Amino acid sequence: MAFTSFNFLIFFPLVLILYWLTPGKYRYITLLIASYFFYINVKPVLALVLFGVSAAAWGFALLMSGTRNEKKRRTYFLVNIIIVLLPLVFFKYFSAINNALLKYLTEIRLNWPLPEMRFILPIGISFYTFMALGYAIDVYNDELKAERNPGIIGLFISFFPLILSGPIERAGNMLPQFRKAQSPDFALIAKGLQLILWGYFMKLVVADRIGIYVTSVYSHVEHHNGTSLLFASMLYPFQLYADLGGYSLIAIGCSNILGYKIIPNFNRPFFAPTMAEFWRRWHMSLITWLTDYVYTPLSFALRKYKVWGIVCALLLTFLLSGIWHGATMTFLMWGLMQGIFLSAEALLNQRKSIIEKKYSLEKKRWYIVAGIVFTFLMFSSSMVFSRAATFHDAMVVYNKIFTEHGPLFVGSPSTMIYLGCGLILLLLKDFLDEFYPHKIKLFDNDNTIVRTMSYSAIIIIILLIGVFDSSQFIYFQF
Amino acid sequence: MKLFQCIKQNKYIKRTIHIIFLLATVAVIDLALGNLLENFYFKQKSGWLYRTTYALNETTADLVIIGSSRANHHYHPEVLSKNLNLTYYNAGRDGSYIFYHYAVIRSILKRYKPKVIIFDFIKTGFKPSQESYHRTAYLLPYYRSHPELRDIIETKSTFEKIKLLSRIYPYNSMLVTIAAGHPALHSTRDGDNKGFIPLLDKWNEPLVSYKASPCYDFDKKEVSIYESILSDCKKSGIQLYVVVSPYYYKHESPDCSVVEARKIAAKYNVPFFDFGENQYFLDKPYLFDDSYHLNENGARVFSAQLVEAIKQEESKTYAFQSNLDQ
Repeated sequence: MAFTSFNFLIFFPLVLILYWLTPGKYRYITLLIASYFFYINVKPVLALVLFGVSAAAWGFALLMSGTRNEKKRRTYFLVNIIIVLLPLVFFKYFSAINNALLKYLTEIRLNWPLPEMRFILPIGISFYTFMALGYAIDVYNDELKAERNPGIIGLFISFFPLILSGPIERAGNMLPQFRKAQSPDFALIAKGLQLILWGYFMKLVVADRIGIYVTSVYSHVEHHNGTSLLFASMLYPFQLYADLGGYSLIAIGCSNILGYKIIPNFNRPFFAPTMAEFWRRWHMSLITWLTDYVYTPLSFALRKYKVWGIVCALLLTFLLSGIWHGATMTFLMWGLMQGIFLSAEALLNQRKSIIEKKYSLEKKRWYIVAGIVFTFLMFSSSMVFSRAATFHDAMVVYNKIFTEHGPLFVGSPSTMIYLGCGLILLLLKDFLDEFYPHKIKLFDNDNTIVRTMSYSAIIIIILLIGVFDSSQFIYFQF
Repeated sequence: MKLFQCIKQNKYIKRTIHIIFLLATVAVIDLALGNLLENFYFKQKSGWLYRTTYALNETTADLVIIGSSRANHHYHPEVLSKNLNLTYYNAGRDGSYIFYHYAVIRSILKRYKPKVIIFDFIKTGFKPSQESYHRTAYLLPYYRSHPELRDIIETKSTFEKIKLLSRIYPYNSMLVTIAAGHPALHSTRDGDNKGFIPLLDKWNEPLVSYKASPCYDFDKKEVSIYESILSDCKKSGIQLYVVVSPYYYKHESPDCSVVEARKIAAKYNVPFFDFGENQYFLDKPYLFDDSYHLNENGARVFSAQLVEAIKQEESKTYAFQSNLDQ
């Protein structure tokens, strides 16, 4: 069930009541059952994959910690990694690999005896696989003790607020919290409710409204001119931010209400003045995961090549990020573009710093604004690959943006008005939080009336212009 | 005083009071704003929201056209009205599905009995689609005032009754449309011709021919609603015609929904006219606005052909009746 479904609004309070009614040391069992119930609602049989990954993560971690023989430990670790990765590779990449092989064999006139097979991707598999992998790596590196209780590991990997689209949590943060009996913390509950409300605003008012426009343009790229395609391409990053960002806030908010503290996933990314800073603020849980488990070991291994080692590590890390999103040429290109942007920044960083210091640019407003705009343009240009259905469509979009201009496709004027209202509110809040964090307080105001009116206004705006009965969250597909 | 201090000190009670205060504030704003929106909604005198209200509450036309955008743009009022000698209203609405269509028929039948109803059936009309349920949202503003529509509206989702506790919810995403429909602004809108909206472009793309696709499972609710449309009209003594109007694309095999709809129509003895892949129209892209919709010229030509088909059907029925009388 999606967070935006009415079912969830019934499911969550019920779980909450059961959770607080359960004696402290058994609460993880209530959450584990609720998590599997939540997941089974998507597609029952796919819960077996989730169970298998959890069992492997638990069992092999115990085996690793139970031996001092380094060779054995390494073998257990490798087998663990393979078993945990196997479902992801099979479900996510089998069709792509199979189709590529089929195409190649047909080209060289060799018959391929098997018919084409298509599998339903277990929802959230990319997220829980990374969580399980992180746990295995941490145990192998002796950064974490193996958990003996299978229920705790099962809950860590299947925790319902996070399972469908993250944030990709770390065992080091979650396991101690699951072991401890949580008691109601009103400040955390209030914070959680606040995050949930803003998450719904981001998803229903901003993301889904922008989605109506972007989908109508990107579904027929051949029928739209460059102006409309450019506008849709500039809007898409905001849609994605509001979609995954909104989902993350609801997930974090629900966890807070249950008493758990979760890592943030976004930090006002559109106010980042450089690509490096942007990636420290965008999908932070995935990026820190990739940094810790891929980029850092890679750059360490390639340290003798100095800056070129860093460039190489960046390119490989973001190529992997692209592959994580999907086994398509478009995502590969998207990842490659991020790698190139970041590498270019890394290579120019020293010279840039000298110029910045020489002319004291760092504190000049126009320089910061220019950096923010330039970063946004770079990111949104790369997102064409992420949004286009095929590589060909992406090339059509780029081509039309530079060659074919005309009147902007408006579709329904009311969609544009609601879209504008939602986006302005979102960016205004982010702007105030970024540059005037303590000047204007609405949700955190000490005055109960101001606080109540702020919450009420958001609820009323959601009811008035939120998109109900809409599509799923974009990141469910990953 | 003591009680007040106790409340002030107890954080549980304090938080509970804050939550109650918030809920009460939201409820008051919801009620006030919802009533305001309702008032403005029913004051409209133009636009598609108004046309739904008019179809449900006011029309007394002899001939009523029911269906989606294809119904709205394909049945020309002058041609049908003049040749069939009936007053006309087009209750077709863009993006509507069979649940909405049945709701319009139900509301009309509650008030009066039109002489003829033309129901425009679309290809894949019985194909399961969440969209057909979601689009019953068009009827939400009528939930309170039209008890006969409630069970149809409740098919939208299991929790529709609860959602409708909010007075704003029925007017979700309608703010701008309602404002534009205010009598002070509605003169800026394009007018309709007895509900009919003509399309004015000319299609110039080549004809697309789709390969035969395997038949799909039908949505049982949609099939049962279709049967209800047929049986309700029959019980009320209304002459119903089910029509598949022209498309500018074709399939190698007939659409399963159309085949099923024809079969059911035959069971209820309701005339069924299939112009969906009529060669006359497939040869003339200039009669279309896009591959799904006829333009105004196309609507005139199609309506004239439909009149002929209806007259032929009437004469057959008349001859059959005469034979029975003799």
